[in-house]
Amino acid sequence: MDLIAILTTVILATTIGTVIIGVAAYAAFKLRDKRKPKAKVTTDNKATGDVPEPIFLKRYMPTSKVSSKVSGAVVD
Amino acid sequence: MSKLVRFGLPVAVLGTFATLLSLSYESVVKSKASFAILFENYVLAAISVYLLVFLVLLIFRYAILILYSFLDHLETIKRGPVVIEPAKEASLPMVSLVVPAYNEGVVIEAAIRSLLNLDYPNYEILVIDDGSTDDTYEKARGVASESMSGKVRVITKRNGGKAEALNTGMSQARGEFILNMDGDSKMSSNVLRACIRHFDDPRIGAVAGNVKVINRENIWSNIQALEYVEGLAMARKAQSFMRAVNIIPGPLGMFRKSVLQEVGGYDHDTFAEDCDLTLKLLVRGWHIAYEPAAVAWVETPSRLLDLLKQRYRWTRGILQATSKHSAALWQPRKAGINCFILWYMLFEGIMWPFSTVLGNLFFAYVGLQYGLAVLLFYWWLQLTALDVIAAAYCVIIEDEDPKLIYYSIMFRLFYINIIDISKVFATIEEWRGNTMTWGKLDREGKL
Repeated sequence: MDLIAILTTVILATTIGTVIIGVAAYAAFKLRDKRKPKAKVTTDNKATGDVPEPIFLKRYMPTSKVSSKVSGAVVD
Repeated sequence: MSKLVRFGLPVAVLGTFATLLSLSYESVVKSKASFAILFENYVLAAISVYLLVFLVLLIFRYAILILYSFLDHLETIKRGPVVIEPAKEASLPMVSLVVPAYNEGVVIEAAIRSLLNLDYPNYEILVIDDGSTDDTYEKARGVASESMSGKVRVITKRNGGKAEALNTGMSQARGEFILNMDGDSKMSSNVLRACIRHFDDPRIGAVAGNVKVINRENIWSNIQALEYVEGLAMARKAQSFMRAVNIIPGPLGMFRKSVLQEVGGYDHDTFAEDCDLTLKLLVRGWHIAYEPAAVAWVETPSRLLDLLKQRYRWTRGILQATSKHSAALWQPRKAGINCFILWYMLFEGIMWPFSTVLGNLFFAYVGLQYGLAVLLFYWWLQLTALDVIAAAYCVIIEDEDPKLIYYSIMFRLFYINIIDISKVFATIEEWRGNTMTWGKLDREGKL
């Protein structure tokens, strides 16, 4: 068997091997991506489909004294 | 012209094909031969012709890139080393370095510390914490308070992606020029001096830096090191000679702040925001230069699946950016060099991976079916010869480790086959419009 024939066999085997590995690696990458944990969705949001209101960013609006007292806030 | 290319060419090809088919049909009927064999011969002949055309294009591409890259290299030598006269030192403009960081806790301290030692008199560092869930913000604040110069500012915001973080940096920057980088990049100390001199030319809107791989620890990262060296020393340098660099890399790109504001900063609609921004600049007529002396060291994926994840995002992102600016594809007169750049990007992004995968499958089939495996060897040998020549040229130009040339054989033997298969799948998924998410590389802190 001459050198060209040996190299040809090596290249043929490598090419077929890498095509198989390439497809398998891509499938593995997609599978790994799918299995990654996704962001948790609360049950309330699931039911209504609404976006939760950011409570810490809600502007404080002083109301009348009566209602303030009820809620326990000090306005004065 | 565009109508002629769009409609005339397919009609001519189909006409020739139909004529050949009718002639063959008659000959097969006369000789009572098999139509299946005739069909197979036609398919194999068509693929052979296609691969031959592809090979010619590839040789032409390597020759032009090496020639233009060499001309750019001569220009760089003519420009001389990065020296700024002492009289000009005080008048150097302020540069704002914008460091977007999302969960970069492992590398952020080293990245900021390396930036504090840059050789430039007038700059600030803006760290934009993009709502990290790890200790990125705390670590960045720690380094900021350590440095007494007040050069470092840390801004935290809700998570909105890299493009939004860079835009926040743009709006907060005090400098006339902005250097955008990645949270995991490590800069060479001359980076600002090397880039700023290009802006003496008022037509230059941005400068792309040189990116090198720092974690050369296994075969995957070593081949990527070669890939980066080739991509920059050959392709990017050649594009720089035409003042039309098509991607300002995320790890290192310097912009005029006014130009960034003019184009509206980074958009959120692609997964390759750096490529999209570069195309926006080119479309508006700005020139983009490449500076090989300004180096950013980056950590690359050292595991196969991480590498595929990165390449998948790059492939789809570049296709999205190309598609966004596709109007220039059909307007060669109006778009000028941008038309050529977009076609070139399609050649590299779609035709190249499809053709190499097709070539491998074709020659493997011919080898197994007809015992002509020697054809596969010659196909591989031609491509490897081109790779080795390009690698040797780039290693010499970049004064890189000569050991990298050996990796060009492994690059062709298995690496590019695996990457190209992934690119083909990514292209198909992009064409089908499959949803995708931003794949962030998990850092190992090699900086």
